[in-house]
Amino acid sequence: MRAPSESDIAAGEVLLAVENVSLSFGGVKAIRDVSFDIRKGEIRAIIGPNGAGKTSMLNVINGFYTPQEGRITFRGQTRNKMRPHDAAAGGIARTFQNVALFRGMTALDNIMAGRSLKMHRGLFWQLIRFGPAMAEEVEHRLRVEEIIDFLHIQHIRKVPVGRLPYGLQKRVELGRALAMEPDLLLLDEPMAGMNLEEKEDMSRFVLDVNQHYGTTIALIEHDMGVVMDLSDRVVVLDYGQKIADGTPDEVKKNQAVIDAYLGVAH
Amino acid sequence: MDVLHHIFVDPFVQMAQAPDLLVQTLWEGLVGGILYALIALGFVLIFKASGVFNFAQGIMVVFAALTLVGLHEKGVPAYLALALTILVMFGLAFSVERLMLRPLVNQPDIILFMATFGLTYFLIGLGELIFGGEPKVMIASELGLPKGSIDLNMLGGFISLQKIDIAATIIASVMVVSLAVFFQKTRIGRALRAVADSHKAALSVGISLEQIWVIVWFTAGIVALATGIMWGARSEVSFALQIIALKALPVLILGGFTSIPGAIVGGLIIGIGEKLGEFYWGPLLGSGIESWLAYFIALLFLLFRPQGLFGERIIERI
Amino acid sequence: MGAHAPADADTFPKLLIHNARIRGARPAIRHKDLGIWQTWTWAQVLDEVRAFSVGLEELGVKRGDTIAIIGSNKPRLYWAMCAAQAIGAVPVPIYADSVADEMAYVLDHAEVKIAIAENQEQVDKLLSVSDKLPKLAHIVYDEPRGLRDYDHARLTWIDQVQKNGRDALKDPERLRRWERSVADTRGGDLAIILYTSGTTGRPKGVMLTHENVLISARNGNLFDQLGENEEVIAYLPIAWVGDHIFSYAQSYVAGFCVNCPEAGETVVEDRREIGTTYAFAPPRIYENLLTLTMVRMEDAGALKRRMFHFFIDFARKWGEKILNGEKVPLWARLVYKIGDFLVYAPLKNRFGLSKIRVGYTAGEAIGPEIFRFYRALGVNLKQLYGQTEASVYITAQPDGEIYADTVGKPNIDVDVKIDDSGEVLFKSPGVFQGYYKDPEKTAETKTPDGWVRTGDAGFFDPKTGHLKIIDRAKDVGRLNDGTLFAPKYIENKLKFYPNIKEAVAYGDKRDYVTVMLNIDLVAVGSWAERNNIIYGSYQELAGHPRVYEMIEKHVDEVNRSLVEEGPMAGAQIRRFLILHKELDADDGELTRTQKVRRGFIAERYQPLVTALYDGSKEADISTEVTFEDGRKGVISARVAIRDLTPIPVRKPAMEKAA
Repeated sequence: MRAPSESDIAAGEVLLAVENVSLSFGGVKAIRDVSFDIRKGEIRAIIGPNGAGKTSMLNVINGFYTPQEGRITFRGQTRNKMRPHDAAAGGIARTFQNVALFRGMTALDNIMAGRSLKMHRGLFWQLIRFGPAMAEEVEHRLRVEEIIDFLHIQHIRKVPVGRLPYGLQKRVELGRALAMEPDLLLLDEPMAGMNLEEKEDMSRFVLDVNQHYGTTIALIEHDMGVVMDLSDRVVVLDYGQKIADGTPDEVKKNQAVIDAYLGVAH
Repeated sequence: MDVLHHIFVDPFVQMAQAPDLLVQTLWEGLVGGILYALIALGFVLIFKASGVFNFAQGIMVVFAALTLVGLHEKGVPAYLALALTILVMFGLAFSVERLMLRPLVNQPDIILFMATFGLTYFLIGLGELIFGGEPKVMIASELGLPKGSIDLNMLGGFISLQKIDIAATIIASVMVVSLAVFFQKTRIGRALRAVADSHKAALSVGISLEQIWVIVWFTAGIVALATGIMWGARSEVSFALQIIALKALPVLILGGFTSIPGAIVGGLIIGIGEKLGEFYWGPLLGSGIESWLAYFIALLFLLFRPQGLFGERIIERI
Repeated sequence: MGAHAPADADTFPKLLIHNARIRGARPAIRHKDLGIWQTWTWAQVLDEVRAFSVGLEELGVKRGDTIAIIGSNKPRLYWAMCAAQAIGAVPVPIYADSVADEMAYVLDHAEVKIAIAENQEQVDKLLSVSDKLPKLAHIVYDEPRGLRDYDHARLTWIDQVQKNGRDALKDPERLRRWERSVADTRGGDLAIILYTSGTTGRPKGVMLTHENVLISARNGNLFDQLGENEEVIAYLPIAWVGDHIFSYAQSYVAGFCVNCPEAGETVVEDRREIGTTYAFAPPRIYENLLTLTMVRMEDAGALKRRMFHFFIDFARKWGEKILNGEKVPLWARLVYKIGDFLVYAPLKNRFGLSKIRVGYTAGEAIGPEIFRFYRALGVNLKQLYGQTEASVYITAQPDGEIYADTVGKPNIDVDVKIDDSGEVLFKSPGVFQGYYKDPEKTAETKTPDGWVRTGDAGFFDPKTGHLKIIDRAKDVGRLNDGTLFAPKYIENKLKFYPNIKEAVAYGDKRDYVTVMLNIDLVAVGSWAERNNIIYGSYQELAGHPRVYEMIEKHVDEVNRSLVEEGPMAGAQIRRFLILHKELDADDGELTRTQKVRRGFIAERYQPLVTALYDGSKEADISTEVTFEDGRKGVISARVAIRDLTPIPVRKPAMEKAA
């Protein structure tokens, strides 16, 4: 698959759109009337100061949170709320800010778990374990091995992930998301807590995923260098509101964005 | 001095003098231990997957056994009754998920724990209403379980092995091994472990918590049924049986709440320890020993290994 | 033992054809890919190499052309060597971790026409310097990932090269022509150019003929009775002569199978799966394995730890004697057996050394403790002394004659002599032809009557008849008072402590000896965790006063052992410091084979060296560092210096009598 060019994206088909979404917890408004879209094939960055509502936005998109107002349109289907299972089944995969892995399981099993929705043999065959269920297991193992090779984590295949250093855990988590063969990949601070070398590896993986699998990516990231290098378009949130939306260059010059980052009083 | 002698010397002398009796005691302890282990296993399964300490595991054993025997009394053939009971356990798992777990999702653990109390009394009531409260006899021979005993002439005496105990041992082992394989090697097993580790990560890859809960409660129900059949065959099927659930607690303390091997090894240690204590030290310490010895063993153990046999060592960084 | 190759198979392509004929169905090479071991038999390898070879011809490769091979241990890169040799071209393997400029130098110097690169990373490096390399006509790559969108005008995937070759080979005439070109290769032809990463100056291209490599490999096989049933794992740089002999030449000569690991990090695991019988590793690898084990044991339960230490101590006492076939009391043998069951066998299995028959360590001195540890476990670890210029083999320890501090006896057909200055010289069938395009250096190294200067100082131990190496001949110096100063000797003594990763000693033309140290982050980090020492970075840990205290004890022990050894007593370490950063090959502080570059370090850390000799208690330093991507940054630190109390030298008995 060919990586889409910038003009493709500009004219591109909208994969997901959130419209007028508001979310509050008790009296706290986490997101206020935010709208933006993610186009097919792009890398879309969501940035903003701490507490701007970025992670809440991802949680709305993949159905962890139910917004009080607004609509989400994914692949042309509009709904008021997404359910986690529908999101996953519809092709949305994600990683988490502080890594949410199955700590007691090996890296291999974690990534295999990412294929849960792709495996269909029922409980009966699972119990018998031979025949179709076995063949299915082998087939999926091959796909998972390709991901392991892609992410260069062969050496930790059989290691319980709880024992791995943070950088590798992040990589396994990305692997699990990739195993879902998603159309839309949500990455919540994929490079947080990493050293320079790990960040570069991760950036490379993100680009490769986007270019070679054609996966659309929405990522939250704090490192502005990374955001500017990787993303096609950026949406900026501050105190739960959208304050800017555009190409990295446009956003960089936007006065509201500069104020938000410099902490000008509201 | 005399007391110390009775506690620390005499019993071991007895063991050495009559090895046949010792082996007999160990065997009975082993069989008891296996049943404890099965009950603990039911607890662990549910605790791991949903974080719920299921107080109703004991009554599920009784309920399953009662349903089986009750159906047979009402004229259903033994094997059909077995199949129907399995179906009933599935229905129970399904209802528990729909009516209890789903409405209480995201509530504190203690609420769910209290809910299992409610479940306990509901099942007692339901069981009495349908099948009556009087003790019943397990339909062991109707289910093809062997009767009688094998007597071995060895170690200068007789060792008598009840065939039902041998069958129980075999069935329990097969069940444990199949469960282990199921957990390690299949998609659903992997999903079960995934849910046990992280709910939100499991949700993000599209694992359905509801489905997993049903499967876990159903599995725990099957384990309860097996326990009920074997325990019932050794004594009788009555509501008094539910107190064996209390025996599972020391097993869990010993084995750790989240470890399946822990439940098994813990069960065996408690079972064997209890029988040895009862037989060799019981006369000295009075007859109530079997009701507290299990806890004593568990507490003793906790002094040395607070995390349990196989539990993860928890290091809190301050 | 497999049949040995006939005398007329005097080149590697001929050997390949020979192997495909007599052991065509036996495994020749394996590679773990996507979690599964893929195997190629000798017959299949011949097919692959032939297609590759003809494909290269289609790309325009001619007799005498040089072909660079860049990457890690992959079957197709090894095939590339034979494919080139079959058509009279000369393979030039290059260290995969070279930065682009180093690579450009070698490619330019060797006048490389085609480069075969493992993956995108290597291709990127090549492309970044390609405008400086007018002779480089084409790049061939192994792994296509990431390269799909590159301009393919001068870039071809190996699969495509082989396909072109296979298409051409459909013409029977073409096949005959290829077979003729193999038949035309001669033992005296140049087989390979290996660039050595010298400690000083530019790398030199060592030219070896088929005969050089082949006879050395055959003699090596004879020395250790290696046959076609061996299993080896190829994981050392393919540009290094050791790997070329062990993973290529000896395999072709004996017909045994070479296993390529899945990734650099999986070598231990892969080695365990394969069960290698013949192994070769620099001391560092053995050290790392041992350090990891010891660290893991410290975290194990008390019972396990006590059992481990009891049996390890027992093995230290008796294991080597049992391995050497000495007389050992029955009870000791029995306890050793129990230890084997409980500790040694599981440990060897963990190391992947369960089936090992012969294991070599070479490259530099191994710590006697480490060496004895493996021998005590029953691993037949031996030492070897070799050089690229000798096609590896100069001396090696024969079975049953193993000493921690010697490098053995001259190999089959090798003559060794020591000249007046103490330098070791050798003569053998493996002696190189010369340095590529450098007659001057060649003349410095090769004497007119065929001896080669090793540049190492050493002597034959009168007791064992084995060669002992003390240091590089040019590095042996003297303190101002005339005391002998062998820096490497002191550095090695220090490095034998697991907590010390690297040491650099100074003392030549100085009043006393000083050292700069690197701590081992794994060992010291785990020690710190156990002792509740909090640290945020390597720099912080290295400067911690308690770390200094611990290291000071080690240095003091080294001084004590120097005193015991007589002539070196005057070269005790008087002052030391712990460097704020790890010495790194990317910063030029280590060679690619991880040896310290003492002179360069002295220049780079000039303020520290000055402070070591002017009595200061601390000194400031800032150094430029290079990150992997070539970007540069600066690290600054204040480094503390510690003094040591000299150990009094016991007066020799003679003086006492006087």
